[in-house]
Amino acid sequence: MVKKAVPFIALAALLVFPLVVKSDYYQHLMILVLMWVVIGSAWNLIAGYTGQVSFGDAAFFGTGAYTAGLLVTKLGWSAWWGLFFGGITAVLIAMPFGWICFRLRGAYFALATLALNEIMRHIATIWEKLTYGMLGILIVQTFASKLPYYYISLALAVISLITVRLVMRSKYGYYFLSIREDQDAAESMGINTHHYKMISLVIAAALTGVAGALYMNYMGFIDPHVVFSLHDISIMAILVGIVGGVGTQYGPAVGAFIMVAVQELFRTGGYGLISKLAKASGSETIISLSEFITKAHVMGFGILVVVAILFLPNGVVGDWNKITRLVLQKKIKGG
Amino acid sequence: MDLFLQALVSGLLRGGLYALVGIGMTLIMGVMKIINLAHGQLMMVSMYITFVCFTSLGIDPYVSLLICMPVLFLIGVIIQKYLLNPLIRVETILPENQVLMTVGIGMVLTETMRFIFTSDYKSVKTSYSNATFFLGNISFSVPLVIDLGFVTLLTWVLFWFLNKTDTGKSIRATAQDKDAAILMGVNSEKITYITFGIGSALVAAAGALLIPIYYLFPDIGGEFTRRAFVICILGGLGSTVGAIFGGITLGLAEAFGATYVAMEFEDVIGLVIFILVLLFLPGGFRRLIKI
Amino acid sequence: MKRLSRILLLVFLLGAFCPSVFAAEAIKVGVILPLTGKQAKFGEIEKQSFEMAAEEINAKGGVNGKKVELLIEDTQGKPDVARSAVEKLISQDKVVIIGGGYTSSETYAAAGVALNKGFPFLVNTGSADNITEPSAFTPSGQRAEAMRKKLDGEKDPAKKAEIEKEIAKIEQAADMEVKALIDRFAIFRLNPPVSEYAGSLESFLAEVVKPKTVAILHENSLFGTSGAREFEESCKKLGIKILMRESYDAGAVDFKPLLAKVKQADPDLVYMISYLLDASLLMRHSMELKMNPKLFAGAAAGFTLPEFPQNAGKASEKIISADLWHQSLPFPGAQEYYDKFRKKYNKDTEYHGAEAYAAMYVIADVLKRAKSMSPKDIKDALSKTDMMTVFGPVKFISYDKKVNQNKLDTYVVQWINGKLEIVWPKKSAKAKYIYPVDWIKERQ
Repeated sequence: MVKKAVPFIALAALLVFPLVVKSDYYQHLMILVLMWVVIGSAWNLIAGYTGQVSFGDAAFFGTGAYTAGLLVTKLGWSAWWGLFFGGITAVLIAMPFGWICFRLRGAYFALATLALNEIMRHIATIWEKLTYGMLGILIVQTFASKLPYYYISLALAVISLITVRLVMRSKYGYYFLSIREDQDAAESMGINTHHYKMISLVIAAALTGVAGALYMNYMGFIDPHVVFSLHDISIMAILVGIVGGVGTQYGPAVGAFIMVAVQELFRTGGYGLISKLAKASGSETIISLSEFITKAHVMGFGILVVVAILFLPNGVVGDWNKITRLVLQKKIKGG
Repeated sequence: MDLFLQALVSGLLRGGLYALVGIGMTLIMGVMKIINLAHGQLMMVSMYITFVCFTSLGIDPYVSLLICMPVLFLIGVIIQKYLLNPLIRVETILPENQVLMTVGIGMVLTETMRFIFTSDYKSVKTSYSNATFFLGNISFSVPLVIDLGFVTLLTWVLFWFLNKTDTGKSIRATAQDKDAAILMGVNSEKITYITFGIGSALVAAAGALLIPIYYLFPDIGGEFTRRAFVICILGGLGSTVGAIFGGITLGLAEAFGATYVAMEFEDVIGLVIFILVLLFLPGGFRRLIKI
Repeated sequence: MKRLSRILLLVFLLGAFCPSVFAAEAIKVGVILPLTGKQAKFGEIEKQSFEMAAEEINAKGGVNGKKVELLIEDTQGKPDVARSAVEKLISQDKVVIIGGGYTSSETYAAAGVALNKGFPFLVNTGSADNITEPSAFTPSGQRAEAMRKKLDGEKDPAKKAEIEKEIAKIEQAADMEVKALIDRFAIFRLNPPVSEYAGSLESFLAEVVKPKTVAILHENSLFGTSGAREFEESCKKLGIKILMRESYDAGAVDFKPLLAKVKQADPDLVYMISYLLDASLLMRHSMELKMNPKLFAGAAAGFTLPEFPQNAGKASEKIISADLWHQSLPFPGAQEYYDKFRKKYNKDTEYHGAEAYAAMYVIADVLKRAKSMSPKDIKDALSKTDMMTVFGPVKFISYDKKVNQNKLDTYVVQWINGKLEIVWPKKSAKAKYIYPVDWIKERQ
């Protein structure tokens, strides 16, 4: 009963969040979180549920972002149309790719997605007539306030979570899972695995493309290295999925929150807390130690990734029981 | 004609180095079935070791192969034993945890080096760094030619190891069929970390050979990881001979691409070959040569 | 699940409500720089220069009796992180002005925020031309820009006239939009935009080298691409024939195939735009191929970095480059800054460092003059800036489409016996340029 209520409580909390927390900074971080919820749950559908691990989400993300940007510069439309057309163009990229590459399995498929990512980045860089190359696309943000962006992102995040949930509740969901568990067995049962893998990819690509269009609208500037980034988009999507919990309904949502919050936590040295405390203590060694920690923030983040994968291989949601056990045990010991 | 020959020579020479990068990656991929996304970062670490050897101890980069290869072998073994193997044992839905682990390792390696050496550019300037000789109008870079010799030597040693020694044979057996190898009494865990160690040592050699003609900063690794995976696919996963072909093909493709198309297409050409291979030759070049 | 999210939310919000320990006296200045990632090298130099300048200012009593507190945030070279940093600096840390801005993508991201809030932002490195063009931030302005690009490809004169008419109409609308925007436009730039980087090199070419043909090689980045385009335009003006224009991805291993092609085309001038040590590889490989054009000319940091001669060795000798700054320039404090930096950090500095150092002094000067610490008053003070810095005179003016832009001279430098010397324009030259050069003999 309680467990079922959690998503609704979370949603209610998210709905009032910007009304309570007026700071632009936290609203901005929450917009990023919600964008990553969309990307993460899309990745989770194709990789977590269908077992086809994509290392190239940025290809769809970037396509969506470029669609939104080009609608403005080439046609003079509003970039918000990108939310619709960005999804469609991402699907147009995903279809031929999936048709060709779903013959491949495991590491081969992962490598093919990696290559798609790189190819899309190069095309966006080289085809200057269409994309303006490295000059990038600058558009005017529609709203000065963060609120509209926040609620649009929230709506998209909810839509993507519901979409994944509905798909997984339908018969497609069972086919996806059977492909993940044992592709050969699924095929011998008469499931057209190629067909269902395509369906899964198309939904995932569409959602990711929409997230890309959202990024264009919100950030106002894109260039090929930003939106087709292997490290910052594709791998970040996998991190969101795995840290939250692969193949779980709300894993990507939790993962997105953790990744954005933790990355920012490290970058700012505990939101500036570490250096403030160090200065308050007045000790030279503590101050230099705090500088050391703040300077090494990416290293700290990397170590955290390593530790998280080592000890929570199924993600926070997947290993929730393990975490509660650990916490409870400590409490018993402490008490 | 000169243009053509120059491209051919440049392509072959750099292809040799790429082959060394690729063989390391392909070995790891063959045995563990994972993409090592920290491969270039390991190379970067080896370059820093060579740099330190050269600047503070005055050791020639070629001699420092004897230092950086064992060190990287050790690092590789530690990574596999304490960071990657524990992941095999736990039940997870996806095997990609290990790949992500290599991403994390790559980040830590990069930032550690940035911490020690800052982001400044470093270079190892030897007396022969810019030495060249000419055959006709074609320029040969002396260090690259020597490198090619080292690459040949190292691959020959590797082949001898894989084909003649027990450990080598076990590695090949594990790559072909892990379960069968375990049934035959192969200690698969030991094999995995020896393989990762060898893979790291090989890419370490590539780093040490490259540094006299290149430069160095902490973020250099990513580029080489990217090249390594293209080489692996070209050659077919887990095939060492294939990786040599893959490396040379990539080197040639880049050189001819830069000469006859445009240098901005350099990487694209590698990737297009990659897609073509995927489409028409799913097993990579291994299919053609049956090794 | 619930508990964890609660704990995380707590951590997340802790900073929001945590009372600032040191808010009382200091004036806070926010700076965004890439301190990790590929651009970290330059971010580091700028950070150290900012810190050095702030220390000096505080040692001399700070600004109106208050200390300046620098808050330097790492952008990792990523626009979304840059935006997080700027939002944090403005709404959490309550800084009064933002400085820094290195890569163009992060500068755009920060500029977007600054524009929305009318917040003062002093750019000191981001070089994309349109950062100080208000029309680039209006829908009609962008539309006109896109139309103009279309115009370039149009051959038919009738259609051309039609498009031009339409552009004129859109530009009228853009002017209206700019007027509505201009009050909020508090983005100022200390450094020249990329289109002006090679200004004095052009006069050097026109008066001294007089090349007939050129090959342009540039890295594939906003800086490289737009720099190459601008140079193409100036070549057309100077009557230099462009034999080829090629780009490459920064970090390439082997430039020989590309250079062999250049060698075959045999241009008088090889012009290269390269930010990183690609510059050094280009020169080394050109030496290995025994290229012998009239002149190798570089633009941007790659050719003026202290690491350039270290890596390229004798291949760096007599190379000419466009440059923005040099310690031997007759600006008060330039040489002192250079020496102090070397003493303090035990390494060389170059124009990025000088930009940052000067920016800090400009900020201090502005804060001194501002009536209050409100964004509006600081903006007013910024626009009235007229001072001398180590980077040259700083005065923000409007010209063409630009506003709030500092106009500076650029220089031509040459590596002479392992030392970088200013050789052009004549009035600032510290050494006589060496030209012509027989590259094969020079590099033996």
